[in-house]
Amino acid sequence: MGKALVKIKPKKYKVGDIVKVDFIAIHPMETGLRKDKKTGKIIPAKYINDVKFYYNDKLFTSMDIWESTSTNPYLSVNLKITEPGKVKVTFKDNTGEAGEKSKKIKPKV
Amino acid sequence: MKRRSFLKTVAATAPLAMMSAPVVLSAKEAPKSPNAMDLKTALKTITGGKAVKDSDKIKLTVPEIAENGAVVPVKVNVDHPMEANNYVKAIHVFATQNANVRCADVHLTPMNGKGYFATRVKLAKSQNVMALVELSDGTFMKAEKPVKVTIGGCG
Repeated sequence: MGKALVKIKPKKYKVGDIVKVDFIAIHPMETGLRKDKKTGKIIPAKYINDVKFYYNDKLFTSMDIWESTSTNPYLSVNLKITEPGKVKVTFKDNTGEAGEKSKKIKPKV
Repeated sequence: MKRRSFLKTVAATAPLAMMSAPVVLSAKEAPKSPNAMDLKTALKTITGGKAVKDSDKIKLTVPEIAENGAVVPVKVNVDHPMEANNYVKAIHVFATQNANVRCADVHLTPMNGKGYFATRVKLAKSQNVMALVELSDGTFMKAEKPVKVTIGGCG
């Protein structure tokens, strides 16, 4: 499936801080309501519908995403830092394609 | 280098996404989408018919005027604790006049630290964006804001 990126903001943080976890995926998020101009046929719906965020394998956020979310979806939540490790984001779309992306968590203190 | 080329791709495809709108038709114009759902039904499905009051604890940030209906930033901040027994359980974002009003259902946990969610949505035309918030005690609250769309999702 398409590429994805997980960003932690700010770049420097300590245990106890609340950071922002930004997730962006390259994905058309087709609504199934558009017609291909050349063929006149409806472009089938294809959109990310399930995103899960894990912190050291513990699920801390899960999302049901719908086709009204923009192309190349940007999804952002907070996370309280308690220990080093990693954040993993898994995503699936309505056609069954899936992907995942991780980011290391390295608190300064 | 990989990261930079990724970000370049996102930046490059964004204008393409803008040019290839229309991406969403409004509830009146849309052919029957399998997910078509209006606001009343969406609210009932999620709240089970419970009363939902407006709350100023929800800080909903949307642009007053969106140049491009295909990419409208939405930010929700809920002024409420995120403790083990008292936290923001879910944030639902609706584009109240799209064929399928639902944009995202975000299920949070105390691990988040704050009741916050941000995304970008498609708006078929000028309409209200709504944030419906569910708390761990089962109560709901909401906030709505209008967004004027100059080049609609049908532009």
